[in-house]
Amino acid sequence: MRLAEESILSDQLLRQLISVGEVDVLIGLPTHNNAETVGQVVQVIRAGLLKYFPRERTAILNADGGSHDGTQDLVQAASISDARNSHTLQALRTMHCFSSRYPGEPSTGTALRTIMAAADLLRARACAVISPESNVAPEWMEVLVRPAYQQDFDFIAPVYCRHKFEGLLVTNLLYPMTRALYGCPIREPYAADFGFSGRLAAHFLTEDSWQQDVSGRGAELSLTLAAIAGGFRLQQTFLGPKGTAERQPADLVLAMRQTVGTLFASLGRYFSNWSAITEDQAVVTIGADNQVATHPMRVNRKRLLQMFRNGVGELEPILSSILSHGTLEELKHFASVQEEEFQYADELWVKTVYEFAASYQHAVISRNHIIQALVPLFRGRAYSFLLRNRETSGVEVEQQIENLCQAFERLKPYLLELWKK
Amino acid sequence: MPTETDALWYKDAIIYQVHVRAFCDSNGDGIGDFRGLEQKLGYLQDLGINTLWLMPFFPSPLRDDGYDIADYFSVHPNYGTLEDFKSFLDAAHQRKIRVIIEMVMNHTSDQHPWFQESRKSTDNPRRDWYVWSDTDARYRGVRIIFVDTENSNWAWDPISKTHYWHRFFSHQPDLNFDNPVVRQEMWNIMKFWLEMGVDGFRLDAVPYLVEREGTSCENLPETHGVIKELRAKLDQYFPGKMLLAEANQWPADLRPYFGNGDEFHMAFHFPLMPRMFMGLKLEDRKPITEILQQTPNIPDVCQWCLFLRNHDELTLEMVTDMERDYMYDEYARDKSMRLNLGIRRRLAPLLDNDRRRIELMNGLLMSLPGTPIIYYGDEIGMGDNVYLGDRNGVRTPMQWDGGWDAGFSSADPESLYAALILNPIYGYQVVNVQSQRRTPHSLLSWMRRIIQVRKSSAVFGRGSIEFLYPENHRILAYIRRLGGETVLAVSNLSNSAQAVELDLRRYKGNILIEMFGRNLFPRIGDLPYLLTLGPYQFYWFRLRRL
Amino acid sequence: MREMIIGELSQTTQDIVRGFAHLLPRLLVMLIIVGVGLLIAYLLKAILRSILRLVKFDRLSENAGTAQLLTQAALPSSTELLGRLVFWVSWLAFILVGINALGIVSLQDDIITFFLFLPRLFVAVLILFFGMLASSFFSRAALLAAVNANLPSARLLSYLLRTIIVVLAISMAFEELGVAERTILAAFSIVFGALMFGLAIAFGLGGQHLAREALERRFSRERFIQEKKKEDELSPL
Repeated sequence: MRLAEESILSDQLLRQLISVGEVDVLIGLPTHNNAETVGQVVQVIRAGLLKYFPRERTAILNADGGSHDGTQDLVQAASISDARNSHTLQALRTMHCFSSRYPGEPSTGTALRTIMAAADLLRARACAVISPESNVAPEWMEVLVRPAYQQDFDFIAPVYCRHKFEGLLVTNLLYPMTRALYGCPIREPYAADFGFSGRLAAHFLTEDSWQQDVSGRGAELSLTLAAIAGGFRLQQTFLGPKGTAERQPADLVLAMRQTVGTLFASLGRYFSNWSAITEDQAVVTIGADNQVATHPMRVNRKRLLQMFRNGVGELEPILSSILSHGTLEELKHFASVQEEEFQYADELWVKTVYEFAASYQHAVISRNHIIQALVPLFRGRAYSFLLRNRETSGVEVEQQIENLCQAFERLKPYLLELWKK
Repeated sequence: MPTETDALWYKDAIIYQVHVRAFCDSNGDGIGDFRGLEQKLGYLQDLGINTLWLMPFFPSPLRDDGYDIADYFSVHPNYGTLEDFKSFLDAAHQRKIRVIIEMVMNHTSDQHPWFQESRKSTDNPRRDWYVWSDTDARYRGVRIIFVDTENSNWAWDPISKTHYWHRFFSHQPDLNFDNPVVRQEMWNIMKFWLEMGVDGFRLDAVPYLVEREGTSCENLPETHGVIKELRAKLDQYFPGKMLLAEANQWPADLRPYFGNGDEFHMAFHFPLMPRMFMGLKLEDRKPITEILQQTPNIPDVCQWCLFLRNHDELTLEMVTDMERDYMYDEYARDKSMRLNLGIRRRLAPLLDNDRRRIELMNGLLMSLPGTPIIYYGDEIGMGDNVYLGDRNGVRTPMQWDGGWDAGFSSADPESLYAALILNPIYGYQVVNVQSQRRTPHSLLSWMRRIIQVRKSSAVFGRGSIEFLYPENHRILAYIRRLGGETVLAVSNLSNSAQAVELDLRRYKGNILIEMFGRNLFPRIGDLPYLLTLGPYQFYWFRLRRL
Repeated sequence: MREMIIGELSQTTQDIVRGFAHLLPRLLVMLIIVGVGLLIAYLLKAILRSILRLVKFDRLSENAGTAQLLTQAALPSSTELLGRLVFWVSWLAFILVGINALGIVSLQDDIITFFLFLPRLFVAVLILFFGMLASSFFSRAALLAAVNANLPSARLLSYLLRTIIVVLAISMAFEELGVAERTILAAFSIVFGALMFGLAIAFGLGGQHLAREALERRFSRERFIQEKKKEDELSPL
């Protein structure tokens, strides 16, 4: 694996880094076939840097996974260099904007590692990673970079304006569990747009977690957890609505593997950290309180319930090796009730998740299979959540999420008990 | 007369700008004069310069350091007599040094007899020599140049009870160039001095000669008409003489002053100068390359004049607001250094007395396309005195040695026209010609060397320029070519060592010969040419194919 | 006549006693060999266990994933397993050497045959072992994938897959042992072939829709996304 680390910077990229020398701010842009949006995104980033950091040495690095649609060319064209007869007298300095193909399969993990390595070599004081499909605005440069550049923060997580039914995996599992176990209320632990300090980049590069996470999946969550566990200074900042054309895995299984799998794996790695935490640390949050949108959204609830029922029924032999007897019985009971009576209560859900986490740790069966077995149960939880919040307001939804967080916290000793078995 | 009769001699010139008052005092009155200047010609010849530009030495109330002229046909008694001037001129020519003098055309002093008469009454024959108006509403919106002291371009004259137009100080009324008599008189003045033997004129404040309603009153076609007229006469009666324009404009607006080779021979490249300083602070070549990319081509017989500093403030008129703020913050944090949208400091203090940066800037000055001008005292790294008013801080007495009055004068130090620089960094005991002459590695010795190297090749003064754009933006690299001769100049604008790969494929097979030490560098091959440079270091390479 | 019988009897008795006398030392040797073998086997097991513990073999096997396999198969840890294997193999070897020392010729041939048979037995056991593991793993994987893709009769699919793999493993094991090779081969081909044929018909006719969807998913991503989008607008992240 040492070999893989050495080759993450191609000769061409290294040469470009030598030319750039040193920067104050580095913006990383991981891409793979994003020609539709990348040109616009680069322009916005450039505008933001010119506006908020006109005197600083800045650079934009595009880590590309091998696009076939000309993404890399579009990025190069956006460079403000003096080599092109650009009459842009507004920019004091040359702004480097270069693109490099990282080795191996397209994966955000490798892209992020390339960006971190470049940040470290360029001695960047503050960095940010922007997703090529986000709703980026020039102000993002200021809010994501300034805290690391001048205010000594190490990790700046985003907060988005979401629809109440959007990101259920985050609101019902990732956020409450991360908050309960790590004592850190980071609302979007799996973020595509975030900022970090050069200090944190250097720390990430030494982490073993890169080597273990062979496929490079779930890297964003890994970073957040590493920042929390490493005791770095965190901040959250409001960015506005999340990009609608997000390259989300359309597949829930893949999403859960990337996020829940990473989260469960981290519990083993950081056991000494989270097992000792007993209360939340406050995290500075800048910007408008995350507003929750409540416009009508089309959801196929029936399908969710049907898949839950199907899952509980067909997977019973597998679930019985993962869950406790009591939990499984309760699930079977709810799988058989009428639609309107169905509810996947907070406590039951938390117990489910914790039992899965413990089983994951003990590897009672293949870990990949454990995550896959959780998927239909999550669907049930999603159904329950959707049912309950058909008519509720944003504030009420937030309150429910808060209650769920507290349930996760309350049952933390249960997890510890299961862990030690 | 210098023996070269080359009509384009100004392309090979190395100009030294000097103020007679500040250079050397021969009669002990505390003010420099022509006899003193004549005594120092040997020093100048030794330095290697071949052209002198004298700041105004005409009779004047000296309220603008001589740019307010009261008599165009004489020499201010402080500096000597007309005979002294002639003697000096001959001596300079014998040493093959040409002399350019000032020609302040746009305005005179209000003490000039012409103005005294003009203001007497509206019937006076000289009334129309100046621009009068009953109201101050004419030419509305025209910008004020000396923003720190003036608040209008019109001044009220209590004697004639009307307003007169002045683009500069209110005691400098503008002449009216719509009047053919005025234009003829200007030619008479120039003829007077040309007949005496001067080699050219620096025409001060040329953009402002003519005014028209509804315009900015700058760079008007009529102004160019005046210049063309003068140039035509010059070419007819005094071929081989040179006109140098002082026009603080963007390059595109400067271009018309060259006409089709029928206006000025040379013009100062004002926008480039602050960008050289900016590029140095930013450690980025972008400001320099961009302004030169935007600089239009000029007729073959014409030439840009390059300079680092001069007697005026480091002007920040021709930069954007963002760039001006940056320059202020980086170079003039102390607000007392700022004046009239500029910074009034000498070269050495601007560069923190950093010998490497001073050398680098001079290296750029000597290798970028144009004729270089050295401001007196900058060749030894003189300091300045920001506490002297206006721009006098950069016009202190020349420091010749560490003794009495720095060797400038025999008068009482308190009676000098301006105080000597005394502090331990720039004071005359530390920074002076004599000690630097005795030190083989002093700045003065280095300046002599670089002037020598510059003069060793005509490519610097007459060649084309082509920029290379290596990926390392801290490196400024360009190729100068003239006929078969090619020179590569590479400069590191940053404070740290740099590596750079240059694409020199077109010059494949050439051997690089470094021009100062004349050592050989590897031949250019197929691969990018790798060079490493120390902080603020520069190379000049002659390319030879053998 | 009495003397003949007594003579024969005593002759036979003497033969038997001679036989015993001939055998006893050998038996004794055999017992000694077996006894020594037991001690050596224990010694080897102990040495191996110490070596493995020193190189942290348990940790290595955990990283390689075999530890999980063994736990799932309800077997003891790798170190223990290897130790026991070494013990039994070495003791068995000594036992056989001991039997060989008895000098019973027919037995000797059988012993040689047995020794030659051992590796194949070992491989067959391995094949069965991994076959079982694979069947359990893949059937579980299929079950989960089918459930999450909302395919009907996921359990049937999983069971089918498990059966196929088990049958395959058993066939391979028997083939390795050389037991009724041809019969097994024929039976396996028939069963497997019929199974595949049945599946082809079932999926070909009944699963047209599924096949079409799968092809669309591969070749017409946008349309697939559109259709997926028609289902609902939820995004989990």
